Parts: sequence; structure tokens; C-alpha cells
Amino acid sequence: MANLEAFLGLLPLLLKGAVSALEIALCTLALASVGGLVLAVLLTFSRSRLVHGAIACFIEWMRNVPALAHLFLIYFGLSYLGINLPAWLAAIVGLSLVGSAVLADTFRAGLQSLHVGQHEAGQAIGLNRMQILRYILLPQALRVALPAYANYVTQLIKDTSIASAIAVPEIMFLARNLVTSTFQTSLIYLAVMCIYAAMILPIGAGFIRLERHLGAAR
Amino acid sequence: MIGFFQQYPEYWSDWVARLLLGARVSAELSLTGFALAALLGALLAWAMKSPSALLKRLAVFFIQGMRAVPLLALLLALYFTLPSFGLTLSGYWAGAIGLGLQGSAYVAEILRGGLDSLHRGQREAAIATGLTPLQAFTAVIFPQAIRGMLPPLLNAYVSILKDSSLCALIATDELMLAARAIASESFLPMHIFLLVGLFYFVIAFPLSLLSRALEVRFSRGRKTIRG
Repeated sequence: MANLEAFLGLLPLLLKGAVSALEIALCTLALASVGGLVLAVLLTFSRSRLVHGAIACFIEWMRNVPALAHLFLIYFGLSYLGINLPAWLAAIVGLSLVGSAVLADTFRAGLQSLHVGQHEAGQAIGLNRMQILRYILLPQALRVALPAYANYVTQLIKDTSIASAIAVPEIMFLARNLVTSTFQTSLIYLAVMCIYAAMILPIGAGFIRLERHLGAAR
Repeated sequence: MIGFFQQYPEYWSDWVARLLLGARVSAELSLTGFALAALLGALLAWAMKSPSALLKRLAVFFIQGMRAVPLLALLLALYFTLPSFGLTLSGYWAGAIGLGLQGSAYVAEILRGGLDSLHRGQREAAIATGLTPLQAFTAVIFPQAIRGMLPPLLNAYVSILKDSSLCALIATDELMLAARAIASESFLPMHIFLLVGLFYFVIAFPLSLLSRALEVRFSRGRKTIRG
């Protein structure tokens, strides 16, 4: 029972950390979604080799190097160059860059799964490029990309824990501090894992419902 | 810009020697983790295919749980809480086991997906020609299924390799920890973390390319709905 009391004492701080983790995830998701979408559209419609080459380099570098290395590079590396980002911002920037690369591939696969006739039909009824994209291609492409997008979102929430390595006060960082001050090691890590599961499982289930809903509407 | 790169030759031999040592540990660590993930993943895939509802449920529960927990939490829990239960793991083994446990959830899904992609008739036909269930699996099912599994398995390995960098946070002497040590001695973090990124890239990128090439190769000649 002493354990239960100790646990209840720790819970508010951990939950506060969970909220920070979700905030970081949400900011990252917004930035990465926009970044990924822009890159995917450029990859699909640009004819410039330079654009393709540059985007491919960016995507491969971001996807084949650990996120931890990106965070260290942005947090410690940039401060060497005189650019001092606060840790939380460095985490958001780093995770967003990685996320843009992941989502660029996801959205591109969605766009390229569409038949070329979709685009031609849009031109035939006199829509301009933006309108074709906005009203015809994206709604279909995003639906195709939804399962992979859902995977990315749950992965992202887990990856926010890496931000603890650059001392962002999210749940993992607070938990590690609590462990050193209270020595309730197993209790705290168990609680942390439960809190992550409590954030991730409902979101995963929500996406599956959304997929079914969109699938049924088709 | 030129000044930036001029720092490299001065420290090059020391840095590269130390990073190579770390890279070797990272390679071993990720391969051990992947081997554990493959073993446990195969077991989980088998459990999901078994007729026992209990086994199936346990496997699904385990996979869901592993996918809902960050690797870092798992690593810290393995490294710091097991000693209070009388089991002290080195950073290396806590890392390998953590990578294996989490990786097994992904590997299990890949194996199951690969097996499910084959038509049921394949197995039935094999049994009908007089093969035992084991022979049917090794001679008919597996050789076909492995084509679809290989590219995602390679990707799973690349993920494990990248994730092994988190083992630096539980004091495993691998590539990322070596980089951090050098960075804090030399006060040249930008140089070091670019270089260490390059080390990971040099291992991971060819494997990613290979995975994509295999995917293209295996999907050629195979008729799908999309044609």
C-alpha cells in the first residue's frame, strides 16, 4: 500500500510530462505534415532534376540516420555555430525534419497510386493545378496514405521520448529525474510505460475507426 | 565554411579510430538485437497462426504492448529495474534484449503478412501431393513467402540499427556514446555529430537501397490487381 501512495504522489508530475510530450508531438505533426505534403507534391509534379535530387538527398539523409543524431546535431551542433535553440524547439525542429522525410514518402506513394486519368479529367473540366490537387488528387491520395500516416503518428509519440536526451522536460526526462530522487525505479518505469500505452493505443484505435469510416463511405 | 572543414584533418585519425570501434559494437548490438527479434518474432507469428485462442490472444497482446511503448522506456526499465529483481544486465545485453523485444513485434507482423499473402490453396495442394505439413512449409510455403518478407525485414534491421543509438543512453559503448564522448572532449559537436551521422548513413543507406531493389525485383512477374 505504501507503493500505491508513492505512486499517487508521482502521478501528477508524470502526467504533466505526458502533456508536454503530446504538445511536442502535436507541433511536430503539424510541421511534418505540411513539410511532407510539400515535398511529396514537388516530387510528383516537378520536372526539375535539381529539385528531385535535393529532395531525395534530404529524405535519405533523414531516414537513414538515427533521430538521436539529428537531435544532437541540431541542439549541440547549432549552438557551436552560435545558434542557441531551446531544447524543446530543437526537439520539435529535429523530429519535424525526420517526419517530413517519412511523410514525404508516405504522401508520394499515395499520390502516385492514383491513375493519371484523375489528373487529366481535372484538366479537361478546366481546373487549374492547385484546384486539381486540392479537390481531386489529395482527398484520394490522403485516404490511401492514411494507414501509413497512422503508423507515423504513433511512432512519433514514442519518439518524443528521445527528446529527454537533450533535457526536454517531457515525461521520460521527468521520470528519469524522479528515479534518481525517489529510487522508486520499477514503479516509475512501469507507470511511464502505462502512460505511453494509454496515449498511443486509443490514437491507434481511432485511426483504425477512421479508416473503416472512410472505407465505408467509398 | 572552409574553416569548418579544416578541423577534420587535425583530429581525423583519432576520431575515426574511436568511431570505428563504436561502429563495430553498434553492428554487433544491432545484429544480436535483430537475431533475437527474428527468433521471438517467428515464435509470435507461429502463436498467431496456432489454433489455440489463448496463444493467439497472448501474442496479439504482447505485440500491441510492445508497439505502444517507446524503446527508450523499455531500455531504461530493463537496465535499471531488473537489478532490483536480482538480475543485472550489462548495457549491451539490456540494449540487445530491448531491441529484440521491440523488434519482435514488427518482425512478427512482417512474417504473418508474408504468410497471409499466399493463397490457402498452396498449402492444400502441397498436402494433397503427400507432403507432411512441415515439408509443405519448408518446400512450398516458406520459399514463396520469403520473397515478400525480405524487403521489410531488411527495413526492420535498418530500424534496429538506428534505434541501437538509444543504447548510448544506458551507457553501452557503441557508436553514439563514442561520438558524445568525443564531442564533449573536443568541443566540436557539429563536426562529430555530422561524422557519426555519416557512419550510420554509410551502413543504413545501402541496406535501404537493397531492400527497395529486392522489392522491385520480387514484385516483377507477379501479377497483382494493379497490374
